[in-house]
Amino acid sequence: MSAAAVFADIARPRPAETPKAKAGVDSMLSIRLRGDATEARLIIPKDQIRQLRAQLEQMDAGSDNTAAASSAPSFSRTQTIVGGLFLSMSMVFGGMWFVRSGKAPTRAGKNMVVLAMAAAFASAATLVYANAGPPSDARSITGRMFSQAVHAYGSGWGRVKLEVGNTDSESIELIVPNPRESPTPKPGTDADGDE
Amino acid sequence: MQEIQQPRVAEVTGAQMFLLGFVAFCALAAVLIGSFPLQLSIITIFLFAGVHNLMEFRYFAARMPVRWGRSRLYYTIGIGGVIVLASAYLTLYFASGNWLWSLDTWATFSASWNTAFVLWIALLFYLRGKQRPRSDWAWAFPAAFMLAALAWLVPQYWSLALVYLHPFIAMWFLERQIRRTRPEWLRGYHCCLASIPVFVAGIWLAFAGQPNLSDETNLFWRITQHAGSEILPGISSHVLVATHVFLETIHYAVWIVLIPLIDRRALPWKLSEIPLFSNSRGFPKAITAALVISVVIVLALWGGFAIDYTTTRDIYFAFAIAHVMAEFPFLIKML
Repeated sequence: MSAAAVFADIARPRPAETPKAKAGVDSMLSIRLRGDATEARLIIPKDQIRQLRAQLEQMDAGSDNTAAASSAPSFSRTQTIVGGLFLSMSMVFGGMWFVRSGKAPTRAGKNMVVLAMAAAFASAATLVYANAGPPSDARSITGRMFSQAVHAYGSGWGRVKLEVGNTDSESIELIVPNPRESPTPKPGTDADGDE
Repeated sequence: MQEIQQPRVAEVTGAQMFLLGFVAFCALAAVLIGSFPLQLSIITIFLFAGVHNLMEFRYFAARMPVRWGRSRLYYTIGIGGVIVLASAYLTLYFASGNWLWSLDTWATFSASWNTAFVLWIALLFYLRGKQRPRSDWAWAFPAAFMLAALAWLVPQYWSLALVYLHPFIAMWFLERQIRRTRPEWLRGYHCCLASIPVFVAGIWLAFAGQPNLSDETNLFWRITQHAGSEILPGISSHVLVATHVFLETIHYAVWIVLIPLIDRRALPWKLSEIPLFSNSRGFPKAITAALVISVVIVLALWGGFAIDYTTTRDIYFAFAIAHVMAEFPFLIKML
């Protein structure tokens, strides 16, 4: 294992020294709850779109690999096939070993079986927990997203329409549909007094 | 006649001294390395990398029997594997800069080498299990297949895990050696091992809020990359480098100080303790020449580090593969 540790020390070619793109565009975000809105809209001012576009071009020109390095790993076809093959072989050979050594289980063997079963149960529990859906209010961007249930869940998402702002506003605007039965805020008390 | 009883002073045993010394050393190392991770990384490799290789070679030479006997197959596969895999590794290392190699090609060859490596280790485990009575170590193959799958599916995390596991190999050697030569120290040593996670947790608690280390120079970038700063961007590279250097420092201390302390036959100048040297059927000239060459390499490394640290560090880690791989046949043989 330590040999592979040293193997891991091989440095990949260092990317060319290019000025790093600015981390982002400083802006303001205003969120408006509107009862008459039918879809969520994110309106970004034109000048900020221009700044983002400039950064994007700079990243392309400088072969910036930050995104590639930090994005979720993607599997190539070879990786998937070979990795799956070895996983299968691991299970097959492990099962054969387990069956063959079952006649005279040692204490260490029993401990390993207990550990393996515990790991399997833990994996199953993780799978079930991971597949549990979020509250329905957290799966669309509406006024209900500000409810206690979604707040406790910690995150939410939904479809949003991106638009380029035509006004002179310097802040990004998020228009959020706010159905009447929404628990908060009460009609007439939202931030901009749209209702 | 009245007898005056002297209060008995509790004697400090060797094992307790060993434990106290180990914990004190770890505490000092954790504070210094946590405070100056980059500087200590450079200094420890400069001072101890070559020396610990020499000590390892000396130790392995003493453990190699003159005649292999019924272990012939084991040692043939062990030493043959070291030669073949180390050659393949160096080929990969020096060819990877070729413009014909894409990143995908490099990754495929790298994963293939890792696969061959874990299968070689599994074979050594299996062969060793066959030599032990009532042992079935065929589990090594499913375990190796699982590791190989990880090497293909999550190569970056697999490699990083090995970077941090590497220092523990020396600690495993020490554990096996204590069992053989000073079993009364075993409990104390296990306490030493148990203290290591405490020190690592201390480093993380104390330095987790530190900003990332500078990676402005090529050397600093290599050091932080080595510790996984690119794979774990959410964690301060200060903590990552400090953790890695702390574990590596213990690794060096084990080879240079603790193993000779536990097994006096491992003292470098006691050549008569090396069967290949002292036995009438041995090879004293070859052993002497190998040790002299090793000393020259250590001196050359120091000179190289002094002249161009970054380049020498790269060359060192490339060729260090052979000695690191050689650990496995000897370690598994001691199980």
